[in-house]
Amino acid sequence: MSERVVNILLISFPRILGQGLLVTIPLTVISFSLALVIAVICAMIQIADVKGLKQLVRFYIWVIRGTPLMVQLYLVYFGLPDLGIMLPAFPCAVAVFALNEGAYCAETVRAAIEAVPHGQMEAGYCVGMSYTQIMRRIVLPQAFRTAFPPLSNSLISMVKDTSLAANITVTEMFMTTQRVVGRTYEALALYSEVAVIYLLFCTVITWLQRMGERRLNAMNGGNVIRA
Amino acid sequence: MLEIQGLHKSIGGNEILRGVDLSIEKGDVLAVLGPSGGGKTTLLRCLNYLERADAGTMTFLGRKMDMPALSRREIAEYRRHTAFVFQSFNLFSNKTALQNVTEGLIVARKMAKAEAEERAMAALERVGLADKRDAYPSQLSGGQRQRVAIARAVAGEPDVIFFDEPTSALDPELIGGVLDVIQDLAEDGMTMIVVTHEVHFARNVSGKVLFMEDGRALAFAPTKTFFEEQKLERIQSFFRSLDRKE
Repeated sequence: MSERVVNILLISFPRILGQGLLVTIPLTVISFSLALVIAVICAMIQIADVKGLKQLVRFYIWVIRGTPLMVQLYLVYFGLPDLGIMLPAFPCAVAVFALNEGAYCAETVRAAIEAVPHGQMEAGYCVGMSYTQIMRRIVLPQAFRTAFPPLSNSLISMVKDTSLAANITVTEMFMTTQRVVGRTYEALALYSEVAVIYLLFCTVITWLQRMGERRLNAMNGGNVIRA
Repeated sequence: MLEIQGLHKSIGGNEILRGVDLSIEKGDVLAVLGPSGGGKTTLLRCLNYLERADAGTMTFLGRKMDMPALSRREIAEYRRHTAFVFQSFNLFSNKTALQNVTEGLIVARKMAKAEAEERAMAALERVGLADKRDAYPSQLSGGQRQRVAIARAVAGEPDVIFFDEPTSALDPELIGGVLDVIQDLAEDGMTMIVVTHEVHFARNVSGKVLFMEDGRALAFAPTKTFFEEQKLERIQSFFRSLDRKE
């Protein structure tokens, strides 16, 4: 590797990483938090079988899962202005990522709730608790343990998917890298560099996931055996 | 204290209960016996509104209720006076033994935490598991789980406890401990309806027996009369078939 390439890598590293910490991570964290809220609400509507709303939720999940994320980004950022709705790039990306991931996570959360044995609900009723109390204190905590690994999966996917936001002018890590490549023509080295930074981020999340699982297991007294 | 008349229940087009009557007084232990599929469990589930009866009236503590018409609030109020012990325990798996007992007291009955824990410890003491207060269900044996479930039932100070085959999911060597606990409760005057396959237990502990088959009460009699002066050929042959198995 020539000295020039090494220099470019060294100079661009803090710049790309910085953009990752300033844009990619906040974009991921905000979008994913909103996605979780959407997911739990959608899952609860389906579980509680709220008439009308349930159909709406199914429709939302159907549309989101049936269309590409990239198309959704373009629709909202370049399409909605035709209707007079103009959002700045970052909030626009947050909205699309949250709505997109929310649809997928809704199914994860719904499956996890359905996996909690019905006997837990019945036992709750028999000690006098209400539906809401049982959901909040018994069913959702258990469902969360089940949903945790697949939700971590979704989070890891989202970190990488945020690179698509470059297409709607959000200057996150990937776009920053593209710009450096545009000036230096060192595509192989720089795209490798950004790949390593993504890998780094995902490694940290994987590590956090393992810690989280250990804690959740401890809260259930070792590996969960349902009875 | 608890009287049921004309209880009917169909599930998925099958008539499970075809008009069941029963009545118990305070301090009674009623054993519900009979072959599998006879409607024993469904009867018990209807009594605690885990299944909604299609028809039937219930008189409980002097109040007459139309079972299918009860509102959610009335059911909640009724359940404050009852408790249910499941065949598969159904302990809250994200709560410790102590929390399993206090949960309903604190959340549903709005009891102060200290008071609830005091009462829960007394209940755990009673089933011999005070030392397991901080264990999660997954760390307990089947018999211990069922005893915690009984402590949970007792702690609410119910007027009647329903037991749905409380020992059917247990290994044979663990059954005795659970039956002993139930027998202790009986001796303390707890009113109980126990669906069971343990004939010895029914004979020794219960005061009345209800024999269910095909959704009907084939017999409803004091235990002594039921076992010693049984005239129905069907019931005699049921017990003969049990003897052969043993």
